[in-house]
Amino acid sequence: MRRALSWSAVVITALVLQSTVFAQITLIGVKPELVYLVTIVLALLEGPSAGAVAGFGGGMAQDFLLNQPKGITALTLTLVGYAVGMIRQYVVTPSPLLPVFVVAGATAVGVLFYGAVAFLLGVEIGGGYLTRAALLSGLYNAILTPVFYPIIRRVAESSRTKKVFRW
Amino acid sequence: MALSRRVRSTRLLVISLVMASLLVITVDYRGGTSGPFEVAGRALQTVVGTLQSGVSRVLQPIGSFFSGLVHIGSLQAQNHRLQQEIQDLREKAQHDTSLRRLIDEFNSLYKLQQTYGLQGVAATVIGQSVNNFQWSVTINRGSGDGIKQDMPVVSGDGLVGHVVSVTSNTSIVLLVLDPDSFVDGRLSSSGVTGGVQGERNKDLQMSLVPPDTKVFPGEQVVTSGYQSGLYPPEIPIGSVSHVYIQDGGLNKLITIRPAVDFSALEIVLVVTGYLAPTTRTPPPSPTPSP
Repeated sequence: MRRALSWSAVVITALVLQSTVFAQITLIGVKPELVYLVTIVLALLEGPSAGAVAGFGGGMAQDFLLNQPKGITALTLTLVGYAVGMIRQYVVTPSPLLPVFVVAGATAVGVLFYGAVAFLLGVEIGGGYLTRAALLSGLYNAILTPVFYPIIRRVAESSRTKKVFRW
Repeated sequence: MALSRRVRSTRLLVISLVMASLLVITVDYRGGTSGPFEVAGRALQTVVGTLQSGVSRVLQPIGSFFSGLVHIGSLQAQNHRLQQEIQDLREKAQHDTSLRRLIDEFNSLYKLQQTYGLQGVAATVIGQSVNNFQWSVTINRGSGDGIKQDMPVVSGDGLVGHVVSVTSNTSIVLLVLDPDSFVDGRLSSSGVTGGVQGERNKDLQMSLVPPDTKVFPGEQVVTSGYQSGLYPPEIPIGSVSHVYIQDGGLNKLITIRPAVDFSALEIVLVVTGYLAPTTRTPPPSPTPSP
């Protein structure tokens, strides 16, 4: 319960920051994808099932604030959270730069997947713009990772239940 | 043993979440967003909207001066109040350039409102779209102020977009920049109409214009205000920036630089009603007499 509450607070903060502060400070016209960043970092810290749940919840929240077919971001981020959580298990030597690279790659791939699904559902997404947005938001998220990673880790650790996590 | 059970349960979890996402996509795609979905979405939009207005108030302390300005009922009362407001603000603005800029914005909005006989609710922009694939702004007025879905939104410079989502105290406005936005536009010199569609960060595109139409770079494009159209007539959309001939001369594609500077959008007017073209005085236009 406490975990759900603090994760929701993180997701809502991400959505608010993204639509106010970071809408003004763009990287060549592209905003960061903070909900992707939160999902990826949580998946790295907590594993695939937590990543999938965080991605589903955060994605659904973002979908409900958009005038586009709902559920696309939730689908994307469920898969991103699960995949990143699985990748974590195969990393032998964790370098401090690892989260930065994982965030960059997973964000770019996630945004491309989002664009592909949205295109299939009839949303007007230009191929050139999609590629540009995917690469730039991946880069922007990577730049922001050193700032947000410690914050998300603190929230994740403080809300971690003592028992083994079983959904 | 324990590990394999955990792997299996994770897989089951992910599969059920994917199924849930697909279910939401399907239900929403078929246009069935009502009931629990809509309630949840509105609740979330209310929470986020409240926080957005808090953040934007911190970012732009000037915005609070306008919180007193809520509802605009009739043209008369509003005329009086706006003039009072402008006068008050002018006094405060002696040394404040950003405030002066807001007054200018407000003044031009007021002029536009007068010229086109618009009635509406003034609102402040408190946020923008939450992702990179929608061009929208959130404003600090909602159904409690009389705003409904599909209402047109203008600024002092021209057409901004239309309302796509409303909560009690905030609304989301889809900008004309969004590829999902279509406006019936009319070229001011020839009077020929066409469809104006958003092209993201680029200039708007006007299509469906007959190829033999004479188009001049820099000429104004205004809303055509077709019968029962969404937008009131004669609102400036932008000016022609380029004209391309497509398909071997069969089609004309016109790009339009928007009249509104969307990066500096602060005050908008949600149009709740407008006088019919016949009952209002025509806007001052440089039409030569025959």
